[in-house]
Amino acid sequence: MNDIIRREEFGDVAILHITSTSVDAISAAAIATENEQMRPITVLDFNEVSFINSAGISALLKFVVSARKSGYKLFAMHVSPHHQKIFKMVEMSRFMPTIEERDLAEYR
Amino acid sequence: MQRVELSIPSHPIFERVVRASAAEVGVAFGFSDERVEDLKLAISEAVSNAIDHGNRGEVTKLVAVVFEIDGEKLEIRISDQGSGMERHDVSRHVIDEQSLETGQLRGFGMYLISELVDDYEVSSSQKGTMLTLRLYRRQEQP
Repeated sequence: MNDIIRREEFGDVAILHITSTSVDAISAAAIATENEQMRPITVLDFNEVSFINSAGISALLKFVVSARKSGYKLFAMHVSPHHQKIFKMVEMSRFMPTIEERDLAEYR
Repeated sequence: MQRVELSIPSHPIFERVVRASAAEVGVAFGFSDERVEDLKLAISEAVSNAIDHGNRGEVTKLVAVVFEIDGEKLEIRISDQGSGMERHDVSRHVIDEQSLETGQLRGFGMYLISELVDDYEVSSSQKGTMLTLRLYRRQEQP
């Protein structure tokens, strides 16, 4: 049970809805623990996230590492323009591209 | 000149207090939403560095933050009570295959600061480190 991640699964897909508005040093550990239960297609949903700092990026990178080890695909959804800029700055977007919600429909 | 001063214990929860204050100062200074977000992130990184690397998470040590609005300039000084730092790595630090393989998943803070503010300087002694960030009001594209 994780208060900061709300999990939704269908088929090979897991959508991890981040319910904390801040992905920072306080929420990082709880977010990172979810990387142990990834699915072949895992989507991190940033719809409710208004702030991400480097401690948060470090937590998100644990998903990138797990996905690469397992051969799974990792996507980000509902990323704000500001966070897209930051992800591009640190090249996170290379390893966690964005996906549109409508593109997940075929898996449902 | 207008000045706002804060002093927080070295615990990450109080970084959020500084960040919230930064947002209000940024709005008062007339920044766009995007520059307020840049300001919040730069200050978050600076305060987190002061907590983690300067004060080494010793909660009794304080991090002082001073916001100073002077005409077209917003200056923020973040000071810790640590024992100083020998070097500050502001080189471009991005995620690549090698860092993922070796588990180097941290260290983006100073690089992000250097990208998000107009200029900055670091002064460090045995009494602590002070990071000064400067952002200038500028004509923003519509």
